[in-house]
Amino acid sequence: MSEQTHFDVLVLGGGPGGYTAAFRAADLGLSVCLVEQRAMLGGVCLNVGCIPSKTLLHAATIIEEAQDAADFGISFTAPSIDLEQLREKKSQIIEQLTSGLAQLAKARKVAVVTGTGTFSDQNSLTVAGDQGESSITFDHAIIASGSRPFALPFAPDDPRIWNSTDALALSEVPKRLLIIGGGIIGLEMAQVYHALGSEITIVEMEKQIIPPADKDLVQPLFLKLKKRYTILTGTKVTALTAEDDHIAVDIEGPKDSSRHEFDHVLVAVGRRPNSEGIGLEAAGVSVTERGFITVDDQQRTSVAHIFAIGDVVGDPMLAHKATHQAKVAAEVIAGHKAAFSALTIPSVAYTNPEIGWMGLTEKEARDQGIAFDKGKFSWGASGRALTSGAGIGATKALFDRETGRIIGAGICGANAGELIHEAVLALEMGADAEDISKTIHAHPTLAETFAFAAEIVDGSITDGMPAKKK
Amino acid sequence: MAIEKIIVPDFGDVQEITVVDIYVKPGDRVEVEDPLIALESEKAVMDIPSPASGTVTEISVSEGDTVASADLILLLETAAVDSAGRDPQPADAPAETPAAPEQAEEPLPAVEKEPAAPAAEEPAGDFHASPSVRSSARELDVDLALVTATGPKGRIQKEDLLNYVKQAMKGGAQAGGGASALSVPSAPLEDFSKFGEIEAQELGRIQKISGPHLHRSWISIPHVTHFDEADITELEKFRKQMNAEQKDDIKFSPLVFVIKGVVATLKEFELFNCSLDSEAGKLILKRYYHIGIAVDTPNGLVVPVVKDADRKGIREIARELGTLSSDARGGKLAITDMQGATFTISSLGGIGGTGFTPIVNSPQVAILGLSRSYMKPIWNGESFVPRLTLPFSLSYDHRVIDGAEAARFCRALGSNIEDLRRALL
Repeated sequence: MSEQTHFDVLVLGGGPGGYTAAFRAADLGLSVCLVEQRAMLGGVCLNVGCIPSKTLLHAATIIEEAQDAADFGISFTAPSIDLEQLREKKSQIIEQLTSGLAQLAKARKVAVVTGTGTFSDQNSLTVAGDQGESSITFDHAIIASGSRPFALPFAPDDPRIWNSTDALALSEVPKRLLIIGGGIIGLEMAQVYHALGSEITIVEMEKQIIPPADKDLVQPLFLKLKKRYTILTGTKVTALTAEDDHIAVDIEGPKDSSRHEFDHVLVAVGRRPNSEGIGLEAAGVSVTERGFITVDDQQRTSVAHIFAIGDVVGDPMLAHKATHQAKVAAEVIAGHKAAFSALTIPSVAYTNPEIGWMGLTEKEARDQGIAFDKGKFSWGASGRALTSGAGIGATKALFDRETGRIIGAGICGANAGELIHEAVLALEMGADAEDISKTIHAHPTLAETFAFAAEIVDGSITDGMPAKKK
Repeated sequence: MAIEKIIVPDFGDVQEITVVDIYVKPGDRVEVEDPLIALESEKAVMDIPSPASGTVTEISVSEGDTVASADLILLLETAAVDSAGRDPQPADAPAETPAAPEQAEEPLPAVEKEPAAPAAEEPAGDFHASPSVRSSARELDVDLALVTATGPKGRIQKEDLLNYVKQAMKGGAQAGGGASALSVPSAPLEDFSKFGEIEAQELGRIQKISGPHLHRSWISIPHVTHFDEADITELEKFRKQMNAEQKDDIKFSPLVFVIKGVVATLKEFELFNCSLDSEAGKLILKRYYHIGIAVDTPNGLVVPVVKDADRKGIREIARELGTLSSDARGGKLAITDMQGATFTISSLGGIGGTGFTPIVNSPQVAILGLSRSYMKPIWNGESFVPRLTLPFSLSYDHRVIDGAEAARFCRALGSNIEDLRRALL
């Protein structure tokens, strides 16, 4: 550890938000200390989140696509799966990325301290690490302590009941896997374990999977998945009992209220902020009832020189929100007049097909009383989608009827997570349907579908049924 | 049953009306005169009373909204008989009947559009600026809602922002308009808590509103302050006598007589009762005499106006001043009570001080400050005699008024106060 014990900026948490904040602050000429409890930087995202899950999803997609190739007259024999090698590949990628971060920290002279940090007052933090306790004082602090999975209060302590971290460890492939929670994490893990051979059951309390997205957007995915998994929506798990050779699960719902047996259960019902046990009371930082740290648009907490970013300040809990907030916090500390003023934060479910959405959903627009025009282009009419075996999907764009500007968009289909960003840029730049229609999109591409959706609203669509007369 | 639309009353040419409080929620039963919401404009906060009894069915505004005259506030479901038996509100008495109800002829529109911009944290308004322009605006402390967009489809471009700033620096932007046009970056604050205990306190509503106005007056008007005194020994005798004879509750304060003296002096010196139109290069002389009186209230400074003071007698002015002051302290002033002043008097005589430099209340061109009167020994040729003396100061806009003219005004005012018989001339 460094000799220095006082820094301009202390960052608590080395996830995407934390390391971005630390690096940006250092690049702006401040002395920075980054405290992280894990041995490696990168937080949940790199170690037990986005990166390992995307590795496993890639493997799952290869398996699925090999099967789908039969449509094109190409058949493979059933794949042989070496779990050990798959885990190894995942670890390699994590190792490569996290060690890269360590180098980036070193190059910026950011002091990385490994240990658990707790604020002792408004200007100091105690770090408990392998080498005992040490104290660090600071002028400014950025809290990036992240979040952890919600546990079900009634779940027994049993190694067969997993959270997302356990599922990503890929310790084994259960025969019968129950996933509680039909959100992004639950569906991604369903895809991985289904490809690896598990029978999947998903229980979701809300009326649809991926509840925040519009139902029609999720529908193509749902229709595909319901052939493969048992999906019970509007259904609750009321009890989990650990038996010797299975987990007994009581569920309650419109279609099914009975006891079922599973080998493993994955609880993916959301995440909660890590705001306890880090000494926020000692620092005088206020939190909401749900435990989120309250911040203003400059990421400032109730204590003027302490900032907070990422999952710990609220939904959406997404790395790309955290990194943008991180830069704002670092810049404000460096004396810049920065603020977090993004118009939207895109969300992506890396399912097959993927779902990406941004801005307002139809539900939200209606709730806010905004009159809008909707253009929706089905991928069944897209040459590129059909030639890629990706005919399942749709691109939808919503435009404010008064200003004409785009207010929301959603894409379901292959690479939706990549395609959604054109819509994000359109929203930030205030584009309307005509702007998007007249922006030339290469043919044949999946990206064209966004232009087609805009043309439907613009009234200039020729790749579909004639537009309604205005 | 009938649905009444409660709308924002006519505030004249007042630009900014803000909803500061909403006292009711849908489903609430209200009686006639029950306060519905509080609106704030210029220096007044006023409650909008319910014109009828009924049940609130829908509220169309939220706290913090900026509204305009005739905007819908809420919908009230009333019993038809109430509504039919009620007299129409007199249109010429907005101060007493601020909520002008209007019968809704048809069922409510199914979709009420909300003003909120989509998912935006940026100021609402029908403009759009890209992330880089928004970020520059923040750096420059520019409110994008005030910037003229030249980009396609009303987009604010970076050049628009720069042009706005250039204009503002030339002083040409927003001569009488936006409050932020003249905003100067504030001096950076220190971390005061390093040096001792501190407590952050919100600025009061009145301070938040009057602050920018005072700042604009201070920056845009070249101020000069002239000091003088008046011998009020005789006036004070007369005043005490008047008060002793008084049968009803009216109390004559020295200020009442000063108002009369000021009006007489203004009639003689018309430049002090005018406004400057610097763009047109013209003076606008006013043939009416509305005197603003700065009143200290628990919520801050407000300036009610004694209208047509030239046509009112001392007794009437005294009565009106009493009502205006108690309304001001009770926060009950109507917007119209505070509009139209042509000259302002700020009296600190009741508190103390030997002289001060008041800020001209733009677009007026002069303001009179009264300090505490004191006994002054005056040489009468043989001996010193004690005379009760009122020190006063006159701040004026030097673009309109010269120093010599101000000195003459002050002398004339002094003479008028010393012997109010001159005010009759």
